[in-house]
Amino acid sequence: MDHSAIEVRGLSVSYGSTPVLVDVDLTVPTGAGVCITGENGIGKSTLLRCITSLQRPDGGEIEVFGGPPGSTPEFWRAVATTVEPPTWYPGLTAREHAELVCRAHGLDPQDAGIDEALDRFGLASHADAIPPSLSSGQKQRLTLALALLRPSRLLILDEPEQRLDPEGRASVAAMLAAYLEDGGTVLIASHDDGFAAAAGTSVVGMADLHAP
Amino acid sequence: MTERTDVGAVRRWVRRTRSAHRERGETLGNFYFAVLFVLIVGGMLHRQLAVVFWPDAPNASVLAAYSLATAITGGLYLMLRRLGPLALSRPAASWLLTAPVSRRRLLLPSLWLATAAAAAAGALGAFAIAGHAAARPVPAEVGALLPAGGALLGGALMLTALGAQGERRWSSWADDAAYVLLAAGLAGLVADSALAAPRAPAGWPATSVVAGAAVALTVVVLAFFLLAVRGLARTPNDRILEASRTAGTLADSAFGVEPSFVTEMVERRYWARRRLRSARLPARLPVLVAQDLLMVRRRPRRLVWLAGGAALPSLLAHAPGWVLAVAVLVGGMVAGGVTTASVRTDAGNPWMLRMLGLSSRTAILHRLVVPGVLAALWYAAALILLAALGDLPSGPWWALGLVLGPVGAVAAVRKARTGFVDNSLLPLDTPMGSIATGPLLAAFAGVDVLILGLPTIVQLAQGGALSWTGVLVQAGVAGFGARAYLSGTTATDRVELSDR
Repeated sequence: MDHSAIEVRGLSVSYGSTPVLVDVDLTVPTGAGVCITGENGIGKSTLLRCITSLQRPDGGEIEVFGGPPGSTPEFWRAVATTVEPPTWYPGLTAREHAELVCRAHGLDPQDAGIDEALDRFGLASHADAIPPSLSSGQKQRLTLALALLRPSRLLILDEPEQRLDPEGRASVAAMLAAYLEDGGTVLIASHDDGFAAAAGTSVVGMADLHAP
Repeated sequence: MTERTDVGAVRRWVRRTRSAHRERGETLGNFYFAVLFVLIVGGMLHRQLAVVFWPDAPNASVLAAYSLATAITGGLYLMLRRLGPLALSRPAASWLLTAPVSRRRLLLPSLWLATAAAAAAGALGAFAIAGHAAARPVPAEVGALLPAGGALLGGALMLTALGAQGERRWSSWADDAAYVLLAAGLAGLVADSALAAPRAPAGWPATSVVAGAAVALTVVVLAFFLLAVRGLARTPNDRILEASRTAGTLADSAFGVEPSFVTEMVERRYWARRRLRSARLPARLPVLVAQDLLMVRRRPRRLVWLAGGAALPSLLAHAPGWVLAVAVLVGGMVAGGVTTASVRTDAGNPWMLRMLGLSSRTAILHRLVVPGVLAALWYAAALILLAALGDLPSGPWWALGLVLGPVGAVAAVRKARTGFVDNSLLPLDTPMGSIATGPLLAAFAGVDVLILGLPTIVQLAQGGALSWTGVLVQAGVAGFGARAYLSGTTATDRVELSDR
């Protein structure tokens, strides 16, 4: 297949009379890592939400793996994202959430490396906690752990370094780099150029995406 | 050291400042409407109220009277514990609890309110029990003393609940005891309807005995009340804050006509208190069925209540057949609802469904399995019990119960999928005033699907013997209905439960 992982052409979004995205173009080749940077309110999250079909744009075209993004199970089996705030099932521990995700994707929980993943994200001692009782940083790590545990072809993450301590940032960046090495595609929005470089992504300023 | 401020002065200032924003006479207007409302509703319902509280002739046995008293005692205590009983309004909890004011004086109005409410509930309960069980004519002094005794008992329960609010060690014991009282009371009522226990004897205990008991109880309650006032300042902050949040959520729920706030709060608190150990999900089952099974295993107490609840329809054995049938059908919906909290989560925000990458059809199909089994078992148990007590004609009622499973499951899942109340719907104008359609539709979501149990309703209403054809018809309707629900409300090419 020769099409890109993500192809955005002429995307426009406005909130009321305030335009946020005007004629935005973006291409992410399959297997590439792209990090979008820019100040708050410039429309990074809006762009990611449009690409993951969680927000309908006012105009323009979006293609993910050659087709329109949608709510089909095929799309969501290929794309893992942390753009939306997560929800947790009541009465299920952090580890059980991870096992649920692995099992739903046909992975054997023993082979999927759940305990290793929780350990790498510093959650090993919180495996039996219910996610709502975790701190915001721990919840962020659990969300990333789930997104990285399950199989996917494209990761779309909104500020994955947020609420992580320096050690956590380095470890998440290393995992994203490994994901890219395995042939996956990564699109993130971030304020941290160092994190983007460590994750092996090329930095693109949001302002540069607007058509001249 | 900061000087203490007079809390009364602060409250008066708050009241004055708030009332400055209100129109003149608004409080008086509100009071007028409240009185008018009570008078109109009282005028409309006084006959029904008389049947509930003071029927023309006593119609309950001694067993029923004692059972009712036990159940009301347990129920009132549990309700007081759920509500606090000592609570402050949310603004007072944020601003005054942390201010340098006398805690006792800050909390005293709440204590009075809780005591008055508990005493009123106790008096009403005692009045109703006397009305149903006491032989006529009731001597005036006994008729007055019984509600007074009930009020004192209500006050005593409030004081016990207040003690439990400040003390973690024995509060769970007291809660368990109250659950046992409630269950024993309900069991007594069921036994009463099954056994036709004898009516209360015509005689009355001597007035001096009742009066003596009332005086003794008054002394005890008063003494404990004074002790409670003395120790009021020691009530831990976290308990008061928790109770304030409960009161706030209840108020939000009532003003916004949004019962899901309360459901969510109860669920959140339950799991926050539990200490869990991660378990492996059973490997051979579909993953969501495995998750639901784990939830069932984690709620053993709810299963015990459900098992006990299977006896409750027999309380309606003498009601018209269709009432009994609807009560049985609703019971199965409640039984199926043990595991549907996850459906509620998915209906609110499908993030987890997207993470799982399952189609909405697969997800709902799997989510129907455990509720289906629970509902089937509950229906079978309830109908077997009714048949055993001789309240049903002959027939394979257990089989009818089992085939009703899909009805309870679909109703429970549909109820969980409703989500927030849609308050943007047009209100219905009736001669009695306008009715908001959003809350009405939300209240009936799930219950409406129980129409799939129509063959059972017809069967019980007619009162004839149940044949295997009847079972087959019900099985067909339930199976067809569940299938139609699945194909009508889910899709194989959509992850989200609702169409965007």
